[in-house]
Amino acid sequence: MFKQSLKGLSLLLIFSVLLAACAPAVAPAPQAAAPEAAATEAPAEAPAAEGEGVPMVLMPKFLGILVFDQAYQGALEAHNEIGNPAQLQFLGPTPENSVAGQIEILTNATTQGVKAIMISNNAGDQIAPAAKAAREAGMTVVTWDSPIPSAEGEQVFVAQVDFDETGTVMADMARSILGEDGGKFAVLSASPDAANQNAWIAALQRVLEQPEYANLELLEIVYGNDQSEDSYNQALALVDKYPDMELIMAPTTVGIAAAAKAMQDEGLCDQVKVSGLGLPAEMLEFTLNGCAPEFALWSFVDLGYLAYHVAYKLATGELQGVEGETFEAGRMGSYTIEKDPTREAGLRVLMGPFTVYDASNVEAAAQ
Amino acid sequence: MQSRFSFLRRWEGLLLILLVFVVVYNALSTPGYLTTANWINLFQLSIEKIIVALIMTFIIINAEIDLSVASVMGLSACTMGFLYMGGMPMEWAALMGLLAGVAAGLFNSFWIGVVGLPSLVVTLSGLIGYRGLAYLLVEDRSIGNFPAWFNRLGQQPLIGPFPLAMIVFFVLLVFAIIILQYSGFGRYVYVIGNSKDVARYAGVRVQRTKMILFVASSTVAALAGLLYAARLGAVRGDIATGFELDIITMVLLGGVSIFGGSGSLWGVLLSVLIILNLRNGMGLANLSGHVQTGVIGVLLILSVLAPNLASSVRASWNRHRARTLEAGKTG
Amino acid sequence: MNAIRRRFQPEQVRELVLIALIIGIIIFFGTQIENYFSPRTFTRISTSVAVVAIVAVGQTLVILTRNIDLSVGSIVGFTAYVVGTYLAANNDLPPALAVLAAVGIGAVMGAFNGMVVAYGRVPAIIVTLGTLAIYRTLLVEISGARSVLTSALPRWLVNLPPVNVFSIGAIDIRLLFAVAVLVVIVFQLIVTYSAWGRRLYAIGSNPDAARIAGFPAQRIVFTAFVLSGALAGLAGFVFLARFGNITVVAGQGIELQSVAAAVVGGVNINGGIGSPFGAFLGALLVDIIDNSLIRWLAISEFLRNALLGLLILLAVATDTVIMNRLRKLWSRHELQVATGQAPTEKGKGHRAV
Repeated sequence: MFKQSLKGLSLLLIFSVLLAACAPAVAPAPQAAAPEAAATEAPAEAPAAEGEGVPMVLMPKFLGILVFDQAYQGALEAHNEIGNPAQLQFLGPTPENSVAGQIEILTNATTQGVKAIMISNNAGDQIAPAAKAAREAGMTVVTWDSPIPSAEGEQVFVAQVDFDETGTVMADMARSILGEDGGKFAVLSASPDAANQNAWIAALQRVLEQPEYANLELLEIVYGNDQSEDSYNQALALVDKYPDMELIMAPTTVGIAAAAKAMQDEGLCDQVKVSGLGLPAEMLEFTLNGCAPEFALWSFVDLGYLAYHVAYKLATGELQGVEGETFEAGRMGSYTIEKDPTREAGLRVLMGPFTVYDASNVEAAAQ
Repeated sequence: MQSRFSFLRRWEGLLLILLVFVVVYNALSTPGYLTTANWINLFQLSIEKIIVALIMTFIIINAEIDLSVASVMGLSACTMGFLYMGGMPMEWAALMGLLAGVAAGLFNSFWIGVVGLPSLVVTLSGLIGYRGLAYLLVEDRSIGNFPAWFNRLGQQPLIGPFPLAMIVFFVLLVFAIIILQYSGFGRYVYVIGNSKDVARYAGVRVQRTKMILFVASSTVAALAGLLYAARLGAVRGDIATGFELDIITMVLLGGVSIFGGSGSLWGVLLSVLIILNLRNGMGLANLSGHVQTGVIGVLLILSVLAPNLASSVRASWNRHRARTLEAGKTG
Repeated sequence: MNAIRRRFQPEQVRELVLIALIIGIIIFFGTQIENYFSPRTFTRISTSVAVVAIVAVGQTLVILTRNIDLSVGSIVGFTAYVVGTYLAANNDLPPALAVLAAVGIGAVMGAFNGMVVAYGRVPAIIVTLGTLAIYRTLLVEISGARSVLTSALPRWLVNLPPVNVFSIGAIDIRLLFAVAVLVVIVFQLIVTYSAWGRRLYAIGSNPDAARIAGFPAQRIVFTAFVLSGALAGLAGFVFLARFGNITVVAGQGIELQSVAAAVVGGVNINGGIGSPFGAFLGALLVDIIDNSLIRWLAISEFLRNALLGLLILLAVATDTVIMNRLRKLWSRHELQVATGQAPTEKGKGHRAV
């Protein structure tokens, strides 16, 4: 009997040693962060005193994607410029657990006494209850890149571009690629649940109703689920389904690159062009060889920078988060909080504008 | 039989020690961990998965697998959302969502029990197909604006500090433990899991038991899907995507053998508590999502590997001792 | 007829049943989709099936031993990313070395799985469910959110997908597809004719008996995992060549696709039954259905997955029903003939012993 428990004890020892050995080995960075998090816990109870700093979290849709890291660089730049003594955390879920993971991080941030969170929302309205709970606990909730559609629980959305303008930009690129006599094209989107893409495509469809775009015909909207394989196959399926299609418009960075590669591999670049929203670094090759002559995007670094300014100023009370307020966002200049024309109840800060990339400027931007 | 039983006891003991270790570590290192609100959150954030893990325990002990649960969760939530959007009162829409789950369960049962296809194939098709049905209903929409009472059920405490889903979980837990560990049906589940043929010769109605389990599995999953919809206050086609692997991980870490016939709900309960506390602790320590899954992956492997290695070491030690004893005798 | 019966076992005609099913499906879609019977359709499907087919062969080896490898998706992503990053920095690395590196990295990851499964006696599903998460975590940690960029890769790699090995009439056999077919043929020969291959079946049909018979069961299981990892590594290289831009989500979901290909292809999840060729046909079947559905104008984007699930289920059900009929036919025949001589189904495995 005694021996048995001795064995159990030694097992436990082995286990705890292993566990203790693993945890820091996998992630050394947060180990260093822990004491600081503890230190910021104290002011969380007292009303946020000046000079104590505002602990903040920047949350991407998920980790491992370049544009979100660029946004973090921008936020960090603002963080250092302002000189916020508390920590700025970059916390995100895994891609396959994005919705539940975002809600979990938001809820945990509330428990930790984080003062402001900046969310690139991937959960649609499903994140609203958690965001409302965070607001009730006194946290500042700002969205960037992708808003909460109902605007519930969100104070301000930092919009990269005007969502209606996205429709116009896509339609203009289509016209510029297809020429004056227009033509037929299809949209290759992310997933059917991607709120941003859905809003942009809806805007595109509205623009197409205008007489000056009458010679552009949208054949179909298909989804590549932001996976290379699906997007690649879908692009080729479009070519097979619609022999007279001349353009694939992909408002997603994964989709546009996969579609361009598919056209290049099958020698279809003369017949079918690719356009949409893409990263210059990923599109460099296809823009130079003519498979994707034109595409657009905005600066994610600036977006992170601006989102940080908005969230920080709301958390410190410098901004109240009401319509018509104007503020200075460091190097980016002056911005105004305005009604979001694409969401009934929402407020937004509009960054803009688009940069349209073609062979003349893509190389410089890809660096 | 004796040795297998003691192995189980040891497993659960091991899990219990591990749980204590995790809880103490969190309590000492993470401020904000030992609060009622956090403990409610810790359950609430994964409550739907752990509800489904209860019934998954039955399925895996029965030597089967149900990969379609997450898609059934999505199907029931989307059915409800679709009907509610079409003007049906919420109560009825929710009931229809539940029935959609029952229908999915009957469909699975038919192919597994009557046609005799492997459950892996059937539920893999279900994983794709039921998700497809969910998308067919809601397409690219997000359906929300549910009645206030419905959202309240998902988001507010119902009795004391406990929200509805937690109460559902504890009630189901008690039921499940009684049925699996203390009833004749539960014994059949184990017997079938150990050997289908032996069970058949012993007069257990194997197919019927399996069919009941798969209908129950989908029904519970559908209920969990509705609870999830109430907690999030909106549904989309991708709701609950990918939950199946998390659920299966919880059951396997609980010491349930993937080959069926062994394991218990006590073990699963402990593994659920370990995973929830570990995730919560790591989340509060600001570890990224990838590191969290990675650590749980390591834990999953180590939890089986460590006892095995220990027993190997012990066996070789015993062999060594026997040999020296032998040598001592002859010499 | 009797000669045929004596010559073949139901398990051996299983592939023929699958081929018949595939032909049936192709004919059906041919009536629905314009221009379906064209060399283009062949190219589309053959190139898209290559990655999964290669992984499915490795998966089959593992499943034959009554194990499973769920980590392959992460191995594909990891090798594609690591080899891609290295090639982007060292454009003059010889192609052969790049392929070798991909296979080697995969093999090491598979070896870890195999070691813990075979020598640590941990159930494969637990190990590989764990490494599925661990390998992906490793990838995310080392990537620092940077992607592999097409423009940084050497030209030979980017231009690999359209390369033809040879053409039969208007039908092009692409290099990447040829690699997949070669892998299938090599491993089909290995499991059919080599002692190692036969032992794979023996272990799967009865692990205890195999152990008693004195097989180095642990080593064989270990080798199966190493090969599965190595093939996933090779698939990672194909993935890299095909898509160019590689992010940390690369290869996600391939684990379930490869399991689906194997079980649809008649590989029994309880081990001992099935073949790499069957898994290849399974992968082909799923891919044909998938690629045809996205080209079928009558089918909306949202109906597709519901149909895909149903069609896979029906295909497996048809296969099972036909196989059961055949088995009954055979066993009835065997009863009629001398009972002692006719080899039973189990006998196949024992002969290998």
